Amino acid sequence: MNSVDEILDYAIDQEQQAADFYANLAGRAEKAGMKEILLEFAAEEQRHKERLLAVKNGDHELTPEQEVLDLKISDYLVEVDATDDISYQDALIVAMKRERAAYELYRDMAEKIPEGRLREVFEGLAKEEAKHKLFFESEYDERVLMDN
Amino acid sequence: MNLRDLLSPFFVWQRAFEKPYTSLRPTIDRPGAPAYRGFHINVTEECIGCGSCHTICQNHAIDMVPVAEFAGREGDSGLRPRFDYGRCCWCGLCVDICTAASLRMSNEYAWFTEDPDEFHFTAGVDDKPWQHNEHGYRRAEGYHLYPPKRIAMDMLSPDESVQSFEEVARGYSEEQARKEADRCVECGICVATCPAHMDVPDYIHSIRDGDYEKGLQLMYRTNPFPATCGRICTRRCESVCPVGILGEPVAIRWLKRFIVDQVDAQDYRRILNDQITENGHRVAIIGAGPGGLSAAYYLRKKGHAVTVFEAQARGGGMLRYGVPSYRLPDSDLDKDIDYIVSLGVDIRYNTRIGKDLGFDKLLQDYDAVFLSTGLSVPSSMRIHGEDHPRVLSGLQVLADVASGRDPGIGKQVAVIGGGNVAMDAARVSRRLGAGVTILYRRRIADMPADTEEIHESQEEGCTIVPQAIPVEIIEADNPQRVTIKWGEAEMVQDPKGGRPRPVLQEERMHTDTYDSIISAIGQGSNLDFLSKDTQEQLAIEWGKFTPGEYQHTALEKVFVGGDAANRTADAISAIEDGHHAARGIDRFLNPQAYTETQADNGMNGHE
Repeated sequence: MNSVDEILDYAIDQEQQAADFYANLAGRAEKAGMKEILLEFAAEEQRHKERLLAVKNGDHELTPEQEVLDLKISDYLVEVDATDDISYQDALIVAMKRERAAYELYRDMAEKIPEGRLREVFEGLAKEEAKHKLFFESEYDERVLMDN
Repeated sequence: MNLRDLLSPFFVWQRAFEKPYTSLRPTIDRPGAPAYRGFHINVTEECIGCGSCHTICQNHAIDMVPVAEFAGREGDSGLRPRFDYGRCCWCGLCVDICTAASLRMSNEYAWFTEDPDEFHFTAGVDDKPWQHNEHGYRRAEGYHLYPPKRIAMDMLSPDESVQSFEEVARGYSEEQARKEADRCVECGICVATCPAHMDVPDYIHSIRDGDYEKGLQLMYRTNPFPATCGRICTRRCESVCPVGILGEPVAIRWLKRFIVDQVDAQDYRRILNDQITENGHRVAIIGAGPGGLSAAYYLRKKGHAVTVFEAQARGGGMLRYGVPSYRLPDSDLDKDIDYIVSLGVDIRYNTRIGKDLGFDKLLQDYDAVFLSTGLSVPSSMRIHGEDHPRVLSGLQVLADVASGRDPGIGKQVAVIGGGNVAMDAARVSRRLGAGVTILYRRRIADMPADTEEIHESQEEGCTIVPQAIPVEIIEADNPQRVTIKWGEAEMVQDPKGGRPRPVLQEERMHTDTYDSIISAIGQGSNLDFLSKDTQEQLAIEWGKFTPGEYQHTALEKVFVGGDAANRTADAISAIEDGHHAARGIDRFLNPQAYTETQADNGMNGHE
């Protein structure tokens, strides 16, 4: 990935893959109410993709300088499998972990290249993923950790 | 007639153009004394519309009228006092009784208008020049027409209470109860807030009258678990009691308990006089918790044959297996359940639907089914090492103790969580002789547990460590013990709003070793007894049923309620769900009894 467009295309593809992943899981979900929730996750990933498409088209700017709150919830949770009988708690863990992995990927890429436009793009993408992670971690905090 | 007499009427007319001798404002610039009892001021944002001013007014000069901007507010009647100055005698009793101290009097006393209707006005709503007057009559500091402090409940001392499972709260004496009942201003705001809409002012009034049988009858109109709720209710009624604004709220829960404690169980049939005429319909209920048995009671009263299927060996659900006996003795829970059963409710214990009997079979055999299966599955922390054998579930510890089994917690335990189950598990552990540390992610003020339970757990020697986030369970050197790694948290304001969120501080980690770690971070429902198709038809969101009107679902015969269907997950909400579902089932099975003109007649909870 040598150009800004290539990087953005990769990121857009990743969001599409995530949307497809949740849509596929929704089709197999056995537990009551999980289908709707996973489809909502897929829609959320579609919104992420739209946002990156807007960046690529010059309609929206990445904000690498923006501070994003890190609740660090997913950092210490176990890995769970995306099985057909996945629960809401586990679905959120899967989502949080995926966003965290994407965040770390872009962050590491940014650290490995010299300052410049490409680095800014990676930093901006890392912040985007950090925001996505915060979205799912906030959900987990509100709905799963209610009594804790 | 001389000429002067003839012209005099015309001379009178010329007066019409002269300065009048009378004045529209005969007194000006003579302010009332600083503490004068002049025109009323009401700070409407502080007023909650309790109507105490209206009740105390001896001249009937105050009416409570609806004001749109306050409609629908929690703990607010939506009404505000409207004064009739043709009747007011300026005695100031309305100011003296005002529970919110929102009502006061200005030192303005002159008001001129040619429209007499203006002398009816809603203070603070109708714009008047004295609304912000700094002078006038105020209630003296510390002066109350009713005692601001509640009558203290006799409790076992913390040293005594941890020695056994004996009930901690000892109950009011008759004298104490009457004194406490006298503090009630009978506003009824609590009625709207109580999920079951219990007739609180009237049953408290029955204590003043010494008529406990009437009090019991009033309570059973909307709640067949008064002995239970008199002990462990979450008492949202007290949170909106206007007496609590300037003092302590009326001890509604303890007064409810007092009434029930005065009546022998053997007299219930005579007092409640429930007459049942069989109607031939058969209703199945899954779960003998407060939701299921509340539905059973009100359905039975309407003549339906009721069979309750309960997986456990005894009835009560979480009230039996989740609430320890030092808060709710078995004998008091049984007092409620026994009366319901005495009406002919058939409870099939040790019968789990989905294992011993299929759900579809119930649909075939019964005319309607009410699901009230509660939240029985403990939530998982999902941290590494959680499957360690020394990590116990709070629900299991409580169920073991309730069933007379030793949960084997050891001598030092950590309890994870801040809800009522966590507090109960902690206090039970103290009674089993363990030292207890409670780890909670947020601040103590954020704990969802009842503040009374939090306070009592601390008094009994439990140590609460707030802002402590568990991150890993580790094998201890001694295989009979377990180590928990946890980190301190900082509370950070979420830029999107809402309550502050705890953020782990990775540089401030701790490891502590215990005999047991008791996880009590929440619980969910077990719906495995329902097929996937059935679950989809029952509309489940975030793990909870989402019923429609009268707790009805998209499955024609099926109604749902209780913790598995409401957000509050407390006994009183489950009781109301059961009552509401009973109304719905009766309408469903007897539609001809509910014509448009008599809709709900006879099943409105006051029959």
